[in-house]
Amino acid sequence: MRRALPLLIGLLAVSSCLSSAARADDTLSFPVLVPLTGFLSLEGTSQRNGAVLALKQTPAGIAIASEVVDTGTSPEAAVTALERAAGRGTVGAVAASMLGTQMLAMLPLAGELKLPLVTVSGTASITEQGNPWVFRFFPGDAVTKAAHARYVVEELGKRQPAVIYQTTAYGQSGKAHLDAAFEALGVTPVFEEGVDPAAKDLLPVLTKALAAKPDVLVLHLHSGPTALLLRQAASSGVTLPIVAGSAMHQPSTAALLEPAELKGVCAETAASPISGGTPEVKAFTDAYRAAFGKEPDAFALGQYDGMTMVLEAVKAGARSPDAIRKALSAETFQGLAMTYKSDGKGNMAHSAVIVCYDGASRVPVLVKRYDDPTLAAK
Amino acid sequence: MAERRSAVILVAGALALLVYALAFASPYGLRVLTVAGVYALAAFGFQIVFGLGGALSLAQGAFFGVGAYVTGILGSRYGFGFEATFPLSMLVPLLLALPVGLAVLRLESHYFALATLGIAQVLHLLAVNLPELTGGSNGLAGVPAAVLFGRAVQRGLPMAGLVWGLVALGGLIGWRLARGRLGRSLAMLRDDPLAAATLGLDVGRLRLAAFGISALFAGAAGALAVHTQRVVSPEVLEFPVMVSILTIAIVGGRGRMAGAVLGAVLLLHLPEWFRFLERGYLVVYGVALLLTVVLAPDGLTGLLDRIAARLFGRRPRASAVAMEPPRPPNPPDGLAVDDLRKSFGGVRAVDGVSLDLRPGGITGLIGPNGSGKSTVINLLSGLERPDGGRVRLGGREVTGLRADRLARAGLARSFQAAVLPIGVGVLEAVAAARLAVDPDAATAEAHARWALDRLGVGDLAGQGCDGLPAALRRRVELARSLVRRPAVLLLDEPAAGLTDGEKAELAVLLRELAEEGVAILLVEHDMGFLLPLAGRVLCLDRGRVIYDGPAGGVRRDPAVAAAYLGRAVPA
Repeated sequence: MRRALPLLIGLLAVSSCLSSAARADDTLSFPVLVPLTGFLSLEGTSQRNGAVLALKQTPAGIAIASEVVDTGTSPEAAVTALERAAGRGTVGAVAASMLGTQMLAMLPLAGELKLPLVTVSGTASITEQGNPWVFRFFPGDAVTKAAHARYVVEELGKRQPAVIYQTTAYGQSGKAHLDAAFEALGVTPVFEEGVDPAAKDLLPVLTKALAAKPDVLVLHLHSGPTALLLRQAASSGVTLPIVAGSAMHQPSTAALLEPAELKGVCAETAASPISGGTPEVKAFTDAYRAAFGKEPDAFALGQYDGMTMVLEAVKAGARSPDAIRKALSAETFQGLAMTYKSDGKGNMAHSAVIVCYDGASRVPVLVKRYDDPTLAAK
Repeated sequence: MAERRSAVILVAGALALLVYALAFASPYGLRVLTVAGVYALAAFGFQIVFGLGGALSLAQGAFFGVGAYVTGILGSRYGFGFEATFPLSMLVPLLLALPVGLAVLRLESHYFALATLGIAQVLHLLAVNLPELTGGSNGLAGVPAAVLFGRAVQRGLPMAGLVWGLVALGGLIGWRLARGRLGRSLAMLRDDPLAAATLGLDVGRLRLAAFGISALFAGAAGALAVHTQRVVSPEVLEFPVMVSILTIAIVGGRGRMAGAVLGAVLLLHLPEWFRFLERGYLVVYGVALLLTVVLAPDGLTGLLDRIAARLFGRRPRASAVAMEPPRPPNPPDGLAVDDLRKSFGGVRAVDGVSLDLRPGGITGLIGPNGSGKSTVINLLSGLERPDGGRVRLGGREVTGLRADRLARAGLARSFQAAVLPIGVGVLEAVAAARLAVDPDAATAEAHARWALDRLGVGDLAGQGCDGLPAALRRRVELARSLVRRPAVLLLDEPAAGLTDGEKAELAVLLRELAEEGVAILLVEHDMGFLLPLAGRVLCLDRGRVIYDGPAGGVRRDPAVAAAYLGRAVPA
């Protein structure tokens, strides 16, 4: 121990000299911290691709750096990834995980580090923490579930929904908002049950739901479970209309099913770029296909819009995280999916659409658009 | 001892880690180090229950989660401070572990693992489905920072200091437990539960103690995890947490506290080193783990031991000064067996055996293979429960008593194949027989040295049990029986494999023990060895006593001859 002590002091002295030589750089960094593995990998990959595509189209004259880090599905990994990103140059904003529990874990640290988090997480509570550093470019559950319930009741005329949701933060948050939306519409679900995302057979919950004599199946599941339940419903001869959550609109979810299994299935979402739209949306879809060899979805488009708004702020002169936060908080941005404007809590997206499949194609058709459906429901 | 030599490397490693934390680590580096410390603390407990005790408890992750939720709920919902939440985060998992342990600890290994996995599943369901209490799937945000001496422990160096301070304390406690009576008893239990029971170790109580201690460590780690993240959600109760703890223990070195630290530091840093590969880091991480397991099958600490041995050479194991163990104050007055019966399915292995082992007497038990001799010893030593009959030890009814209770009552036995633990020193193996009665491991080793000296193998004390020749193994095993100062000694073929000279030495020893008042039952095939020793002989055939009389008469008994040779011998 006597020999170790001088060694320790020596190393400390050398290190203090080394640490003073910090790198000075005016490049802004935009780390992409998203779940690329685990049960949310499909959605997380879309999120990644949307962010990466936006960052590739950085306006001229702006130097940026970016690194993609897989956050898996644990809050701990997400927080570590954020801490890691914060230590690598000047961070302008972070494309942050769409997994609600990861966002909730990252928020306190983002507040401490003063870094804007740009996400497409639908979990309602992330913008209810009073944290000014979070910006959600995907309609929250209050918006999407209001559109979901309104389409079921007002357009399909159904009043006995059976709700099957996921036992994750995403699922429980969506279920709570569906309950509120149905209640506002004077409808009480005849059946509600949560299922684990790891469940390999959803026939038992489907059978129980059908036993409650519903007139519509309302799903709020992740991508894999949505496809599994739809396949099992189709093979069981279920003819009830099914209105699913946003996971269903994803081309990667539809790819897991035969077109015939999708007949009569609808889904709520923020947008459906593959369903067509403006020339700008088509250009985005083509660029996305060329870059990643995949079809884009609403998560990709939402994250793309979010990061594009961030870059627009940088282009307009925002060179610090706080300046970017102020721009995101105050400005209105016309994105590809919709017009974004913060409601003061970081909720930037206030529109939702309903898409439906015709049974012949995996490309859904946009059948209904809701702008600020929550207010309309009130 | 290689372990001590490798301690030099470990201390150097700890110093390097300290320098890194104080001078080089970024906030990110400190966070990874902090999380590694949290997992090291959880793995300490797992090293005790699994590494030492051999019980694959898959509830360690659940106890970690319970500790996390206790801190999360009390801290964020009720505003309790660290001084209350931290001890409660340890206490609640302990209170959960005790009743659960009583229910599942007697299950066989794989059933035990499944049962403990079930605990985690139930707790996860509760966490998800009790949103009013737990926040449901979202969990609870806004858990306050730990406050110590009126100051909040901020992230970065202060939090790393708190966590690693507790890791140092926990590691020291774990290390002392592992080297003390509890750790050695658990290791004995892990290597051979039956032998452990016959040495007087209470298997159930030991496992429950290990299970409870593991829960304490896991709860402490869970509490610190929440203070590090400031949120708690059901992910803390999911299987990946348990897998991480298990991997840390295996990679670090099973049963070693230093292994928990090394494993945690490596396992938590490994994926971070390859993050630039996006999702490809998992492949590299898997390959790196596989390589670690292949190159260091005994874990990183085992690898360090080997490196230390190569660098510094092997040092003989430490020995002890011999001390004669005290005789029990009121030794039982022999063993009386009346009409003992035992069947396995339709086979009557023991059918109405009666015998009387008097203090100072040597009784021989013979019979052809399969006649029931070993079953009799198993019944008398508590490894099997008799279907009928009575057994009295010194007049006290002990029929069907557990092996450890019989051992503590004054009965000792040996096994047909000498049962010695693998990778353990001779002195330690013999000292294990005193763990149930001596106040500490050092006293047990001093008594063990006395027994080895008495059997003329004191010079083996510094050697390992592995690779000992058969004769010496038998002596060491006999020393384990002798060191307990038994009143009744049951020996199952102790002369098998010995040379004539060794048999003669053994015979002298047995006579001495008998002269000291020990009642001996000697199962033996070697009549040349047995008959001069035994005052009385019983012969079994198909579970029944066919001869009970003086040793001199057994050779002439026609029933005995028929049992051995298959026909009656003419008089």
